[in-house]
Amino acid sequence: MDSQRSDDGKGYLVLVALMGAALVAWWWLPSVSVAPNRIVPGTGFSAGQVAGWPMALLASLPLLLTGWVALRAGQQRLSWLLGLVMLCLVGWPLWLLLATVQLVDPQLPQARVAIGAGMWLTLFLLLLALIELSTRMKLAAWRSWLLFLLPVAVLAACIPVGLDRLALWQEYQGRSDDFITAIGVHLLLVAATVVLSLMIGVGIALFVRRVPAMQRTVFSILNFLQTIPSLALFGLLLGPLAWLASHYAWLESLGVSGIGWAPALLALVAYSLLPMVRNTLVALEGVDEGVIEAARGMGMSRRQILQQVRLPLALPVLIEGIRITTVQAIGLTAVAALIGAGGLGRFIFQGLGQAATDLVLLGALPILIMALVADALLAGMARKLQPGLSPGAGT
Amino acid sequence: MIELIGVSKRFGDSLAVNNISLKVASGEFCCLVGTSGCGKSTTLRMINRLIEHSDGEIHIDQQPIRSFREEVLRRRIGYAIQSTGLFPHWTVARNIGLVPRLLKWSQAAVDARVEELMALLRLDMAEFAGKYPHQLSGGQAQRVGVARALAADPDILLMDEPFGALDPITRENLQLELRDLQARLGKTIVFVTHDMDEALRLADHLVVMHEGQVVQQGHPLELLREPANEFVTSLLGGEDRGLKEAALLPVSERMVPLGVGGVARDRIVQTASLRDALSMMLWRRVERLAVVDDEDIPIGELSFRRLVGARGHE
Ligand SMILES: Nc1ncnc2c1ncn2[C@@H]1O[C@H](COP(=O)(O)OP(=O)(O)OP(=O)(O)O)[C@@H](O)[C@H]1O
Ligand SMILES: [Mg+2]
Repeated sequence: MDSQRSDDGKGYLVLVALMGAALVAWWWLPSVSVAPNRIVPGTGFSAGQVAGWPMALLASLPLLLTGWVALRAGQQRLSWLLGLVMLCLVGWPLWLLLATVQLVDPQLPQARVAIGAGMWLTLFLLLLALIELSTRMKLAAWRSWLLFLLPVAVLAACIPVGLDRLALWQEYQGRSDDFITAIGVHLLLVAATVVLSLMIGVGIALFVRRVPAMQRTVFSILNFLQTIPSLALFGLLLGPLAWLASHYAWLESLGVSGIGWAPALLALVAYSLLPMVRNTLVALEGVDEGVIEAARGMGMSRRQILQQVRLPLALPVLIEGIRITTVQAIGLTAVAALIGAGGLGRFIFQGLGQAATDLVLLGALPILIMALVADALLAGMARKLQPGLSPGAGT
Repeated sequence: MIELIGVSKRFGDSLAVNNISLKVASGEFCCLVGTSGCGKSTTLRMINRLIEHSDGEIHIDQQPIRSFREEVLRRRIGYAIQSTGLFPHWTVARNIGLVPRLLKWSQAAVDARVEELMALLRLDMAEFAGKYPHQLSGGQAQRVGVARALAADPDILLMDEPFGALDPITRENLQLELRDLQARLGKTIVFVTHDMDEALRLADHLVVMHEGQVVQQGHPLELLREPANEFVTSLLGGEDRGLKEAALLPVSERMVPLGVGGVARDRIVQTASLRDALSMMLWRRVERLAVVDDEDIPIGELSFRRLVGARGHE
């Protein structure tokens, strides 16, 4: 409220700055790069070179207009600004389509267009502007999601009409089955990690509460695990697991071996335990002692207190722990690809090996999106579960 | 009936409660007072076994408390504390119904009981039943705390500064309501407080504690008139004791029945305290008050000499 008042008449500086930066990126950084095939490095094209500078000027008009409205009207025209930013975002894939049509020689079946630094930066700044506006306007979560989906939908619609020459799409086309499997494996590993570390973490937290003398030991072990570099941990697990698999047939039949999902899962769980245990402990101890004393005084058993009082009250902080663990696991699972666990990390490492930037992106972009979505969902959930605010907690 | 016989509590090396003996008869209102850290809360919490006593014996209705299972014992005893300890994720109605639900009452019985209690503590059902504790004022939350303590209709109530942190007016209202409730429902109450006026106003049996020991116990008037030592004297208000005693005595105790001389102009009801009468005399600058009954019919007269208890002729 205060900031809104003080900003009145002064111009909406955050948005002005974002649009200014976007314009600079748009004009002075390469817009796209075009390559005749996968192996040859591409040539960069600035916005002016794509379809002549009048066209580039026309395309940058929405950016200019957004910045101008933000400067002149300040925050009094938030919905106009939102509309303009959405226009820019919807225009983004269209510009890409235009560049493809203009620059790619249809005679060369292998020719492709890669998104340049200028366009990436513009997209990033526009998304920041969208986030800023939707928080400022206090839009309901589902509405902001819809706003994000609109440019994605436009992008998808452009693919059959020419954008199939996008390098990212070409990389995907070459391995669409692999891609789906990789996403599945990635999600599965993350889910298994979170569920296992949640169960073990809550167990450890409850144990440490009963036996406070063990607290130091437990935390030094968990801290130590956390300090081992991830690659080293994967390496360390290689030997023991291979040995186990070769001595116990049932383990081998489950697919356990020195490489693959087993060591990956173990290492991921090991990394996840510290944030999980620490948050669970903070959550459980953060419950008001007066409430627990009253619960005992009313004649609730230990178990009833844990289930009906301590856990529900601790839930928001507990979910915070799950959020941190999940986001961390989504990133770490990428590294697990190095020991053959599969997942999206595979594309990243393959791409790095072949110096194919777009293959790296094919792995990295979904990971980024997964992390953002998981983060937003779990943060929203924690907010909903604040004691006394959720309608579900009533009689 | 609650009986403590030579009870002590040790925390490590320190004695928080040292060999105290105490008897609270059924239907009696017992107040524990004393300086901070003297062991009042510890004593109270030993009765419902939130703290296990180290030595001695505690009996409830002639049975040692350790012969009950902890939870069973506590469900039979109401418990209210200063911080209220209301569950923040439960509505007022659900908070109040906690113990009946633990005792596996039917949902209909719980609902009926909750309604009854909210009426008893003047909490409007339509307004408060669905609210969460953080939406209540301090006084409302304390009422809900007391309602929850009363929910399963326990014979015994333990209250640890339940009206602490309230403004004097709300506090006095709640005290009067509690006193009234206790008289009507015949509960046995053990009540811890820091506020001497509160203790004197409520107690049938006043227990003064100091450094883990009981220094003196008995009826409040008894303690005011014959304090055992300097500590009790100063705790009960030192020079203020005259006013405190006057606050405990009703006007009817010292008035002269009607029939002697004319009726004074200023009126006071017979149930008012001598302290109120004194205040009225000072304020109106008169030496005589007409005493009236509840229907405002004069029944006697109170003179200044009678009020201060001077004997002999007027
Ligand atoms: N759980 C505990 N562990 C160790 N010492 C304790 C514990 N509970 C109370 N004590 C000690 O026992 C003594 C009596 O505490 P208690 O809470 O009974 O005092 P109190 O009379 O209720 O004080 P106040 O009026 O401040 O509430 C204090 O010295 C306190 O430090
Ligand atoms: Mg206390």
